[in-house]
Amino acid sequence: MKNRPEKKNKNQEQVKTFKGAGLRSQNCPQPGHPKHKWRSIRWAILLFFNFLFFASFFFDIQILEGTLSGSRLLGFHLIDPLAAFQIILSSKIIMVNLIIGVVTIFLIYLMLGGRSFCAWICPYHWLAELGEKLYQILNKKKIIKNHPFDRRIRYYFYGFFLVLALITGYTVFETINPVAIISRFTVYGPSLMLLWVMALLIFEMLYSRRAWCRYFCPVGVSYQLIGLMSPLRIKWDKENCSNCKRCQSVCLVPHVLTDSVNLGKSEYVNASDCTRCGLCVDICDDEALSYGVKYLDKLI
Amino acid sequence: MTDKESKRPISRRKFLKTSTLVVAGGAIAYGAVSVPLLRKDRRLLRPPGALDEDIFLASCIKCGQCLQVCPPQVIILAGISQGFGIGTPYIIPREGGCILCSGLPCVLACPTGALAHELSLGKDAEMGLAVISHPDTCLSVRGVNDLVFRLENLQKKRTSSPYQTELKDILTSLIKRLTVDEKKAWRNRFSLPELSDKNLLTILKQSKNSDLKWVINFAESSSQAQKACQICLEDCPIKDEKTIVFVTRTHPDTGQDYLWPSVRKTCVGCGVCEEKCPTPVASITVTPRLKWSEKQAGNQTRKNNQT
Repeated sequence: MKNRPEKKNKNQEQVKTFKGAGLRSQNCPQPGHPKHKWRSIRWAILLFFNFLFFASFFFDIQILEGTLSGSRLLGFHLIDPLAAFQIILSSKIIMVNLIIGVVTIFLIYLMLGGRSFCAWICPYHWLAELGEKLYQILNKKKIIKNHPFDRRIRYYFYGFFLVLALITGYTVFETINPVAIISRFTVYGPSLMLLWVMALLIFEMLYSRRAWCRYFCPVGVSYQLIGLMSPLRIKWDKENCSNCKRCQSVCLVPHVLTDSVNLGKSEYVNASDCTRCGLCVDICDDEALSYGVKYLDKLI
Repeated sequence: MTDKESKRPISRRKFLKTSTLVVAGGAIAYGAVSVPLLRKDRRLLRPPGALDEDIFLASCIKCGQCLQVCPPQVIILAGISQGFGIGTPYIIPREGGCILCSGLPCVLACPTGALAHELSLGKDAEMGLAVISHPDTCLSVRGVNDLVFRLENLQKKRTSSPYQTELKDILTSLIKRLTVDEKKAWRNRFSLPELSDKNLLTILKQSKNSDLKWVINFAESSSQAQKACQICLEDCPIKDEKTIVFVTRTHPDTGQDYLWPSVRKTCVGCGVCEEKCPTPVASITVTPRLKWSEKQAGNQTRKNNQT
């Protein structure tokens, strides 16, 4: 009982003390030419990998075969962890290939930052990013306003669909998984399920900003768990930060920056929600944000 | 008072917004649930090695890798109208049956074992069983030669495939079946230099109407025209074991003898016979998932009911 108020005071003190030491704090937010360095790189990689999926079937180029739920990179199995867990629970059979695929995914994203899957590979994320532009225009004109949900819904969904797979003996979420639907669409052509994806996108654009990725999508949760352990993180430089908070305005999951930008106590963005998309790095005029490797940076 | 009045239109707008959202969401959810339920009993022909339907649906990851490696490209992915298994692979036998290619690449490609890796030979697959679903149109029962039937249909322009490809297909099969003497007659009619099958086909390029009529007459009078259609057996991918045996039966009313295609235990239900059946509606169709024992049991009960 005694500790609680003390902690609160501590935080408040830090908020008070941290006002931003950056030199340009007076001018911030700076109007200027927006940089899109990391976004361009990211979109190029996202489109390239989705093109590889497309090319595997259309041109029979066997580099990355399959779709995002299950594929083969140069013959090595890659399986989406959520899909794999659902299948194990629904069929009650443990296939070696499934385990191999999940372990490979685990190792790859352990190096590359966990939820980086969302921002760097997921085609739905890309469509939603484009849709967000429309949202921002409409929001600016005050035609629509944001309706946020509780972001913990994602974790409940994750558990819910796993339990549902166990009870029904069927991979229920895989039928409505927009990531898999779009991935199948890019490789094998359109299906009626695209209407569901469209409905989701329209919901995001007109009602709740980035709702699926932010509050609902359980696919990202498994990558998020990997991200907890991944050393590749966004690095925050206290000296340069002017505390303008523009990074939080573009972020898909703004709360991940709280520990650093608002409270000034964390050198890295440690929250697992972070997709390592680099939008904050792009928008920062103070060079306070950059990509870093948590344990290596100190050694060098 | 003023506060309340100003709030009213907002709340109404809010109500309209949320109600439309609820209605739209409800409609989508209803569609997503009801359509698969309505189609639940429709069985689909799954690729070779597929586990029992329930466990297959449970373990298929819907990645489509089986379809990527399929050499004849007959596997397609199910949409919402095919029922529960959205994104699961299936085969429409009439549009292209499984040829049970060696090595079964689709089985090897499956990452989850929904197509069981225990299956290594095409002839051990259990996809379903072929059934003579329209005995009245079956050319074998009617004693009609398949090439003559197809040529007549071609003349009446009743074919589904393009004219030229159908004609080429018929002529290649016809030439293969001709005796040496008949081939010679063919060569003399069109004054062709050689006797090879390829050379005989060169008349395709000329293709006049009078030529076609001659070919039809020729086909009807040739020795192979005496033989009733056996295409389902001839094109069956299982060659070393007889999947269909033509049994002589006597028609109860007319007393005439006819050949009845009797499907045997070795049939795996690949669907090639359904694809190749020359009648406008396939006389032989594959019943997916049908097991030999079930079929026998069905026949037994039917016989019992009749007596």
